[in-house]
Amino acid sequence: MSYAAVGRKLGAGEMVILDGAIGTEILRRNLSWADHQLASRPEFVRGIHEDYIRAGADVISTNSFQLCRRALYNHFRDLAHRRQIGAADLDERADKLLAASLHLAIEARTRVAGGRPVAVAAAITTLEWCFRPDLAPSAKQAKSEYREIFQVVKDAGADLVLLETLNSISEARAALEVAKSLGLPCWTSFVCDQRGRLFTGETMAEMVAALEPLGVDAILLNCAPPGDINAGLKELLATAHVTTGAYPHIGRFDPPEWMFTDEYPPARYLQVATSWKRMGARILGGCCGTTPDHIAALGDLRA
Amino acid sequence: MRHGCILSSAMNPSVEARLSSGQPVLLDGAMGTELVRRGVRWRKHGLLTDADRVQQLHEEYLAAGAAVIRTNTFQLNPRVYLNVFRNPEHMRHIGAPGLEDLTPKLLRTSVRVARQARAKAGKEQQAAIAGVLAPLEHCFRPDLAPGFEAARTEQLELARIFAEEKVDLLLGESMNTIAEARAIAEVARAVGLPAWISFVIGPEGELLSCEPLAQAIREVEKLGAQAVLVNCAPPAEIGRALAKVKAATQLPYGGFAHIGRFSPPSWKFEFFPQFSESEGWPPERYAAEARRWRDAGATILGGCCGTAPAHIAALAQMLEANAKGARSA
Repeated sequence: MSYAAVGRKLGAGEMVILDGAIGTEILRRNLSWADHQLASRPEFVRGIHEDYIRAGADVISTNSFQLCRRALYNHFRDLAHRRQIGAADLDERADKLLAASLHLAIEARTRVAGGRPVAVAAAITTLEWCFRPDLAPSAKQAKSEYREIFQVVKDAGADLVLLETLNSISEARAALEVAKSLGLPCWTSFVCDQRGRLFTGETMAEMVAALEPLGVDAILLNCAPPGDINAGLKELLATAHVTTGAYPHIGRFDPPEWMFTDEYPPARYLQVATSWKRMGARILGGCCGTTPDHIAALGDLRA
Repeated sequence: MRHGCILSSAMNPSVEARLSSGQPVLLDGAMGTELVRRGVRWRKHGLLTDADRVQQLHEEYLAAGAAVIRTNTFQLNPRVYLNVFRNPEHMRHIGAPGLEDLTPKLLRTSVRVARQARAKAGKEQQAAIAGVLAPLEHCFRPDLAPGFEAARTEQLELARIFAEEKVDLLLGESMNTIAEARAIAEVARAVGLPAWISFVIGPEGELLSCEPLAQAIREVEKLGAQAVLVNCAPPAEIGRALAKVKAATQLPYGGFAHIGRFSPPSWKFEFFPQFSESEGWPPERYAAEARRWRDAGATILGGCCGTAPAHIAALAQMLEANAKGARSA
């Protein structure tokens, strides 16, 4: 398997359906998501991937949101403190779980995709909290950490990297450069606000101008309500030359979990997605709060 | 003799009498790690979804002999929710309804649950309820701690709610900077509640900020703290820190160690109470360690992350045996 089939579809201007939420789907199925459930309930995670493949997703994304060394290390003052009180496996845990997240998605594909080409995207977000660009590390530091992460996902068999819920041009550029240097296809997806801007206040035009020359394979918007995504997509489509896409969240962020609402049942979700297809978006899927039923509904976009 | 402090009238009379006469006072053990170990899904401290299980755990600590139970409010403050949004406007825009008013609601629930547990145990006269305050940012990240002024303003809001709910005292727990510890001592005085201040001990044997423990104790003592403690480090390190505490103050003092290893979750931002390998510290082993602290002069003993009601029961037995030994000697 590889990115080739997805690349061909996009090259031909066809629709590519991305999967829906995995973290919130774990919650909706009554488990905690605090530990990603990759080690404790691997078959459960794999089952959600399988449901998305059955629902028709062309690309499934790994259950690895914010799964990186920094996320674990941030809970300690420093290395000395981590050695003093931290669990013994913490140095290796993030890399191991990240590789496991790829293996589970690949297994799901082997089990249920049949002959249909399905690409596995390593879902990687910002190094610090996705909604807090003020916390982002320097570009140099980000590159060094993304290099470690992308090497793990490449070795584990990722077909592409889906950089999601990005909040700044600087971190996106750092990550994209590293992905490209490792030969990985790379989609960058940003969270946007009601004005259709990045959380740094940077514009879509500035972002597109920074990323297109670096060979980004697609630019998407995600993890904002449909209305905000719509505003961002207008701005993005006005300036992008590469393929664009979107996957909004539905419901409400109720930290540390998610509040599910019935505001966007699958049929209404399809209507929104259809309007984005008409505007020019070619990759559509779902972020927090969406379910396999929402992705199944998006099948109509292929018509 | 360790007495001489004038305890506020808000303090539970039994606990007050024990403290001022130099008798041991038994704290409870961990709430968060024990609730997580029991399978409670850690959201809103379990106070919305699993209040019955929170109350049950308080009851078990009281049955084990705890004279002070702590509200299940460690690191429960508005920042915990605000920090995961871009700003307050973003929280209103994509967050669940009511997040802005959630903290006061949960604090009030936490006291109600503790009070119900105490009533059910029939220990209204014997047991005190400590309203737990903690660093506003992650307890293990002194680099993120607010300055004194911001801490005082925000901690005062929390302290007022505890005072309205009539807790017996405020416990500033796992404090990692002198500035924020001072803020808590000051807000306790402002709301008329006794303050116990407990510091988290770093690998250097000082505050996690590397500020000297002895200086931290002097500063909160000046602001009227009525007891000083050390917590959330492994037992051996708590023991060493207690020697420093003893040398630094005439106040009643004590400690509560964590057992096992902190095993943070793989995606979350704020403190999440998950410890592994705590089986290495069965109750008897923990009590044997705490006995040394007691013998050296500490009077307030309990358990931090990883401990369970059985550990507190073992401490109660140890204290009782110790007292009998002292009487017969």
